[in-house]
Amino acid sequence: MFRKNSYLLICLILLSGVAAGLVLLSTAPASAATQRLVLTGSSTVAPLVSEIARRFESLYPGVRIDVQAGGSSRGINDVRKGVADIGMVSRALKPDEDDLRAFTIALDGISLIVHASNPVVSLSKQQVVSIFTGNVMRWSAVGGPDTRITVVNKAEGRSTLELFLDYFQLKNSMIKPHIIIGDNAQGIKTVAGNRNAIGYVSIGAAEYETRRGMPVRLLALDGAAASISNIQNGNFPLLRPLNLVISHEPQDLARQFLTFAQSPQVRDLVKAQYFVPVDAH
Amino acid sequence: MPEMIWHHTLQKIRDCGVQGFVYLAVLLVSAVFVWMLADLVRGGFAHLSWEFMTESPRDAGRAGGIASILVSTVLILLVALVTAVPLAWATAVLLTEFVPVTSPLGKTVRFSLFVLAGVPSIVFGLFGNAFFSIYLGLGFSILSGGLTLACMLLPILTSTAEAGLRAVPETYRLSAAALGITRTAALIHLIFPAAAPALAAGLLIGIGRALAETAALLFTSGYVDRMPGSLFDSGRALALHIFDLSMNVPGGDMPAYASALVLVSLLLCINILAMKLAYSLQRRKILT
Repeated sequence: MFRKNSYLLICLILLSGVAAGLVLLSTAPASAATQRLVLTGSSTVAPLVSEIARRFESLYPGVRIDVQAGGSSRGINDVRKGVADIGMVSRALKPDEDDLRAFTIALDGISLIVHASNPVVSLSKQQVVSIFTGNVMRWSAVGGPDTRITVVNKAEGRSTLELFLDYFQLKNSMIKPHIIIGDNAQGIKTVAGNRNAIGYVSIGAAEYETRRGMPVRLLALDGAAASISNIQNGNFPLLRPLNLVISHEPQDLARQFLTFAQSPQVRDLVKAQYFVPVDAH
Repeated sequence: MPEMIWHHTLQKIRDCGVQGFVYLAVLLVSAVFVWMLADLVRGGFAHLSWEFMTESPRDAGRAGGIASILVSTVLILLVALVTAVPLAWATAVLLTEFVPVTSPLGKTVRFSLFVLAGVPSIVFGLFGNAFFSIYLGLGFSILSGGLTLACMLLPILTSTAEAGLRAVPETYRLSAAALGITRTAALIHLIFPAAAPALAAGLLIGIGRALAETAALLFTSGYVDRMPGSLFDSGRALALHIFDLSMNVPGGDMPAYASALVLVSLLLCINILAMKLAYSLQRRKILT
C-alpha cells in the first residue's frame, strides 16, 4: 500500500520536473525571437546600467537587455571576443585599447577615506605616496595619533586601482597593502571598522554612506575637498569617466541604447546611483 | 581506604569537567547559530513585507523586492538537483552494491570525487563559463548556472549517499538474497529506505551549498535581476543578490539583511521538511 504510494510520489515528482523543464524549454524560441542586448563589465557601472536598461525595456517592449558584472577588464575582453555587445568600463580607455569606442555615461570621483575618529583632514600627494608605499608607517607622521597605519588597497584588475596608481604615479608592486578589497561598499565597511585604516573609494558611494552615519571621512586631496559638486565643476583632480564601449559599428539596437544612456532621460538614474551626469558641468 | 575515596573524587571531578566541556561546546555551537539568526532578524525583519516577496527589485535592489531573484534561485536549484541527484545516487549505488570496495574502478571513481570535492567554487564558475556558457553556447543562463552547480554537487551527493548506503547492515542484503529477492528489488524496497535519512542529509548539504553559491554563479547564471522567462534567460541567484547589495550597492544593507533572512528561513524550512520526510519514509518502508 505505502510502497505503491511512494512509488507514485517519486514518479510524479520526476515527471513534474521533466514537464516543468519541457515547458520552460518550449518557451525559449518565443523569447529568442525578441531582440537581445548583452552588456558585461565593471561592477561599479552595472547597477546604473541595469536601471537604464530597465527604463529602456519599458520604452521598447520586446527588447531584453542582459547586464552582467565582473570587472572592467572582463567588459573589454568580452566585447573584443564578441561575447557581449557592449562593455562597461569604469575608466578612460588606454592607448592599446584604440580598437574600441567609448561612450561616457557618467563621471565618478575617487576619494581617500579614513575612519571618522581620525583627526587627519587633508593629505598632500606626497604624503599619500609615502603612506601607500610603506615609507610612513604611523599616523603621527602626518598629524594623526601615534598608531600604525592600516593600508587598504583595491584588488588587481579594478579600475579604481588603475586610476589611483596612474594619478599618484605608482606601480601596484610598490604599494604595501595590509588589506585588499574589491567593491566600494566593502572598502567603506573595512575603513569604518578599523580606526587606523586608510583606503580609497568612489566619492558618490562614500558621501552617501557618511550621510547615513557610517563612521568614515573623505579626505581633501591637495586642498580640493572630495565632493560631488567639486567633480561637477571639475575642481577635484581624481575622477574617472564611466564608459560603455563597443568594438565595431553598433547595430541599430545597440546604437539606440547608447544614445539613450547618454540622454537627459536617464539623468535622474545617474544621480540615484550617486554618480555625476556627464552634461552637468 | 582514604586513597580510594580520593581516587573516587578525582574521577568525579574529571567526569564533571568533561561533561561541562561538552555542554560548553554545545552551547557555543548553538550560540553561533542563534547569534547569526538574531542579527539577521534584527537587521532585516523591519524591511520584510509581502511586497518584498512579490515584487521585482528596483533601484539596483535598494527598493522593490526579491520575487524574480527567488524564482531564478529556485529554477537554478531545480536544474542542478534534477541533473545531479540521479547521477550521484546511481554512482553511489555502483560504488556500494556492484563494485568491491578495493577494486581499481571504485578507487578511481572515489579518488576523482574527492579531488572534485576539494575544488574551490570559483574554479567551477570559470569551468562553467568556459564550457556551458561559451563552448556549448548556453550563454549567461539559468541552465548553465544550474549545470555548473550540478557539477559542484556531484561529489557531495555521491559521497554522502555512498556513506549512507554502506551504513546499511550487510545482513539486510544477505536476508534479502536468502528470500530470493532480486538485487534491484532489495535496493528499492530495503536498502534505499533504510539509507533514506543519510540520503536526505546529503541532499540537504547539497541544497545548502547550492543556495549559498555566489562565485560559481556570477560567471554562469549571471547578474540580471529581471523575472526569467525561460531556462535560457540569465537570472540572479539570491546569494549573489545579497553579495551585490552588501558589497557593491551603497545603501543596500537593509534589503541585503532581509534577503539573507529569507535565504536562511528557506534553508530552515527545506531542512525540517526533508528530515521529516526521510524519517517517515524510513519508518513506513521498514516497518511494513
